[in-house]
Amino acid sequence: MTEPSNTDRKVTSLRELPQSIEPPHDLWPGIEARLGAIPAAADGATPAQRRAVRMRWLAAAAMVACVAIGVWVGRGLLPGTAGSGVVAVNTNPPQAVQPPVNAVPHEVYVSDPRYQEQRAALVRGLQARLAALPPAERDKVTASLQAIEKAKADLEQALGHDPSNALLQELLVNTYQDEMRVLTDVHEASDPGRGI
Amino acid sequence: MRNGLCLAGALLLLLAGTAASAANDQTFDRQVPAQPRGVVEISNVSGNIEVSGWDRSEVSVHAEHAGGSEGVEMSSEGGHTAIKVRQPASYGRGQARLQVKIPKDSELNVSAVSADVTTSGVLGVQRLSAISGKITAEIAGAEVELKTVSGSVQVKGHGQPARLRASTVSGDVHLEHGGGDIEAGTVNGSLIASLDGARSVRAHTTSGEVRVEGTLARGATVEASSVSGNLTVRASADGGFAYEVSSFSGHISDCFNKNPERVSEYGPGSRLSGTRGEGAGHVRLKTMSGNVELCDRR
Repeated sequence: MTEPSNTDRKVTSLRELPQSIEPPHDLWPGIEARLGAIPAAADGATPAQRRAVRMRWLAAAAMVACVAIGVWVGRGLLPGTAGSGVVAVNTNPPQAVQPPVNAVPHEVYVSDPRYQEQRAALVRGLQARLAALPPAERDKVTASLQAIEKAKADLEQALGHDPSNALLQELLVNTYQDEMRVLTDVHEASDPGRGI
Repeated sequence: MRNGLCLAGALLLLLAGTAASAANDQTFDRQVPAQPRGVVEISNVSGNIEVSGWDRSEVSVHAEHAGGSEGVEMSSEGGHTAIKVRQPASYGRGQARLQVKIPKDSELNVSAVSADVTTSGVLGVQRLSAISGKITAEIAGAEVELKTVSGSVQVKGHGQPARLRASTVSGDVHLEHGGGDIEAGTVNGSLIASLDGARSVRAHTTSGEVRVEGTLARGATVEASSVSGNLTVRASADGGFAYEVSSFSGHISDCFNKNPERVSEYGPGSRLSGTRGEGAGHVRLKTMSGNVELCDRR
């Protein structure tokens, strides 16, 4: 029978283990050689540093994305903000009757291209059509158009505070229709041979 | 002395101009046979047009036109009679005064610019339009369509069930003894209607006032809306009516001693609803900022 070696000896307590074990040879040259085999980063950063930098960029990008989504949602849902991605681009020429300062572009609510085209065509010739009317009539019609502009602005402003209000929505639709009717009537009225 | 000569010269020129103008005034009188239920079309830019219905199967025209107008054209063919005052294209020149008598059951179409239009005793369909001219029409039981831009519209009914449509941009609409189906709209003019057994009333303004008073037929409907104009309905109806009144920021009042309820605890908006009598009819009034007054008696 041979004596069991130290490695084979059964350990019954941690105290029986040595406090430290010297490696059989110096391991550092091997580790250094393997580290040297990894190509160094262009900026000289270690992989851990690069990972940290990447994480910071990802966090920043996520923040920007969150802000962008917030702005997009806000502009899409809240009326009165021009340039929303969900509405048609304002292609209207300058209007003869300027809306009140606080008026909201109605394209926010009406994005049908056929409506936009028809309205733009009527508005385009409005100044000339108004000029063809006698002064007293021109003043009256201008006052009516201003009343419509104000009504639209008031309704859109109110809808900005209460977007789902059915009463305001209905009245706004009526006002859009009134505006088109007035523009059409003025268009036809300035053509004496045609009448309204 | 010199001033006196100048004044005398100016007076002479004025007299000469007046005489020349008077010489240019012309009259036109003609009568043509027409079908009892034919179509009569009349157009005149400036001046006035008076049309009355009579029992004869003839169309009679009496016209007085001043300098600037280019005369009156009249044609009649196959139940269609046309009367037209030829004018220069510009406004305010060459007024003509037309007095036209047509078979009372004729269909009447009138087109005017600044000329006032008046009809009476016409029982057939009437379609009258003017830009700045005032329209005064007497309606019977037929369909009537009245349209202006800035001119006012005055309609006199007799309570017969007719179908009236009146629209204007900045003019006012006044209706007396309206029966049947009534539809009226204006932007900033006012709509004032006295009803005499109306079946349906639809009125819409942007900033003008709507006032409807009188009697409704059983089961009648009244719908009125405005953005900022006030709405007043004081009408009785056989069988009563159900009512719904909505206002975003205006004040609602009634003669039923019923208080409007708030639509939202936090936001603006109020509503008044209920039933008077059997609730056979229906009244719906809507406004954004106008005040509303509803009563089931005049």
